Amino acid sequence: MWPEQNPTAYVQVTLPIKYVNSSRLTAVYPSIPYFRISMIRVEHLYKYFDEFCVNDDISLEIKEGSIFGLLGPNGAGKTTLMRMLSTVTTPDRGQILFQNEPLSSKHIPLIGYMPEERGLYRKMSVVDQLLYFAELKGLKRSQAKEQVKFWLKRLEIIDWADKKMEELSKGMAQKIQFISTILHQPKFLILDEPFSGFDPVNADLVKDLIIELKEKGTTILFSTHRMDNVEELCDRLAIIHKGKKVLDGAINEVRRSYFNNQYDIHFQSKEIPAQLPHWATLESTQFSEFGHLKIRVQVIDPNQVQELIKWAQETNQMIGFQEYVPSMHQIFVDQVKTA
Amino acid sequence: MKNILVILKKEYLTRIKNKSFIVMTFLGPILMVAFYAGAIYFATQGAEDNRTQTIYLTSQQDWIKPEESTISHDKFLFIKTNLSRDSILNSIQNKTVDAWLNINDLDLRNLDSAELISNGSLSLSQNSSIESFIKGEVRQKILENQGINKATLDSAEVIGSINSLELGDSGNTESSATGIKSGIGFAMALIIYMFIFIYGSMVMRSAMEEKTNRIVEVIVSSVKPFELMMGKILGVALVGLSQFFAWIILTIALISGASTILQSGSSNIPQNLNSAGNISNSNKGLELISELHNLPYWEIGIVFVLFFLGGYLLYSSIFAAIGSAVNQDTDVQQFMMPVSLPLVFGFIIAQSVVFQAPHGNLAKIFSMIPLTSPVVMAVRAPFGVPVTEIIASFSLLALTFLLMVWLSAKIYRIGILSYGKKPTWKDFVKWIRQS
Repeated sequence: MWPEQNPTAYVQVTLPIKYVNSSRLTAVYPSIPYFRISMIRVEHLYKYFDEFCVNDDISLEIKEGSIFGLLGPNGAGKTTLMRMLSTVTTPDRGQILFQNEPLSSKHIPLIGYMPEERGLYRKMSVVDQLLYFAELKGLKRSQAKEQVKFWLKRLEIIDWADKKMEELSKGMAQKIQFISTILHQPKFLILDEPFSGFDPVNADLVKDLIIELKEKGTTILFSTHRMDNVEELCDRLAIIHKGKKVLDGAINEVRRSYFNNQYDIHFQSKEIPAQLPHWATLESTQFSEFGHLKIRVQVIDPNQVQELIKWAQETNQMIGFQEYVPSMHQIFVDQVKTA
Repeated sequence: MKNILVILKKEYLTRIKNKSFIVMTFLGPILMVAFYAGAIYFATQGAEDNRTQTIYLTSQQDWIKPEESTISHDKFLFIKTNLSRDSILNSIQNKTVDAWLNINDLDLRNLDSAELISNGSLSLSQNSSIESFIKGEVRQKILENQGINKATLDSAEVIGSINSLELGDSGNTESSATGIKSGIGFAMALIIYMFIFIYGSMVMRSAMEEKTNRIVEVIVSSVKPFELMMGKILGVALVGLSQFFAWIILTIALISGASTILQSGSSNIPQNLNSAGNISNSNKGLELISELHNLPYWEIGIVFVLFFLGGYLLYSSIFAAIGSAVNQDTDVQQFMMPVSLPLVFGFIIAQSVVFQAPHGNLAKIFSMIPLTSPVVMAVRAPFGVPVTEIIASFSLLALTFLLMVWLSAKIYRIGILSYGKKPTWKDFVKWIRQS
């Protein structure tokens, strides 16, 4: 999707965006010009279950400090990929580079992983549990205590610190689960369906935390079914289908690339007020909630847009004109259907 | 290594803090004593009622003195009768009597045609005690017929028991103390057997809990599955040892407490009750104490610790693999059964063969096979097992343990992340090959 490049080529450029004056840089990453350093590079990754190929030649790169969305229908192989990235399992072929080094157990303290299927020890107290997870990630006891206290306060559950998990509501357990993932201040955070299973309030909380962590410099990879989250949070995304990567890129870039010279024109009238120019094709018509007519028109040549606007204006009925760029949702559905 | 310690600490502390652990630690010895006391009580008393059984007796033989109309023995009352068969059977049916012993044989030395008819209330042991009683009475009658009276017979009774001695290395004979050795050996075998089952299944349950609660995926993103498994096995072992030592201390406290109370009670018994019989008993007691002192404690202790730990580690690594593979409680049995059979078998061997021939071939063979050796070797230990045998057996056990841990870790690694269908033995093999 993007030109093959030497990942170290951009390392020196650490200036804020306004000083960056490299046309190549903006050309390659128009929407995320300052993510230069590679956090994760996945190269031709394969994973088999029996004879079944769950991850089929997957390559992608996640830049440091960015949020990467992993999309795909159920059973596409997202969880399998995430498990390999979090060192839970190992690939059958291909390699994963963590900050340009082969991923190994020494990176474990730098990675935080929240699996889709979540669980905690029911009989253990909140504090003991969190301390245990933090210690497993290599935190010293004193450090761990500090972090646990900070996050319990931050998420307003400090009063429940000594309660056992089984006494907590589901929403609280979800918060604890999230805390346990980020306690050790991972550089790379992997969240498998972070919004599923969370109630809307907690889902928003997680969203805010993701943004907050990103601002602190954490690189985040998450999988989701919810396109609104992707468009809102992600800098880049990849769509996986049947184990294969079918699409990958910056969101705006991807959406832009699906732009097909289609325009939406809104009219006051109930019918199309005049004959369409012969070079324009009517794609669809529908009525807005206020009873206005909206038509989608396709032109062959992008230069014809001025003429289309002129035509619409001359009908004296036009109240709106807009280019139509497919939503991520539309792209996702198209990709999965055609793949 | 650090991770193993963190896991060990967590496994240990959560279990130690558990209420059921504390309750079991205090109640364990009491329950154990109560259990065995109960078992012994019921074994000796049986479920039989203590009611005296009334039995009609008709006999064609003349061993019953004509002037006696009833014979009372133990829990039986024999009533001589001349009633007709039908009326006797009637009264058995009406439960006015419990049974009818009908001896038709004319020849004293033959009871072939004798019959004991009851309404089904007589147990096997009651049947045999009636038979042996009748046989004893008849034998006495025969002897009396030959001119030997009861007093002569009683004077021919042989008393006492043979002292079993062992020729030691120094050429001295010392008491072989077979009874004590058997007792100690059996107790050690029982402890190992129970420890493996109780704490081995605790390891399995713990692995299963983490899997079904879906915690395991988070944990294996932090530690290697092998570290998780080893931490668990060692942590639970430490829990078991703690409980074990608590039990020993509690039992010693209980026994010494009880004996203090008993001693202070027995000092109230008047001196004149200390008859000659009691003195010989106290001699026996002294012998017992010296026998206890002469046992090779160091050897027994070392063998016990080695095979105790070896057996536990071997079995718990197998149990951990099973726990990691299954998805629910109900699937456990299928795998536990075949795996625990060798242990149960070893225990049976330990009980029967070893008691009869502690150094026999069967005992030797099963104290070499790693899956049975912990239990069989423990029971042999007090009888003095050659050091070479101990080293050979333990080396085999240790090697098997290492092999098993290696295999179990492979199963564990894949098992903990395999949800859905019930695993089969085939899956186990596949998982071992995969990793």
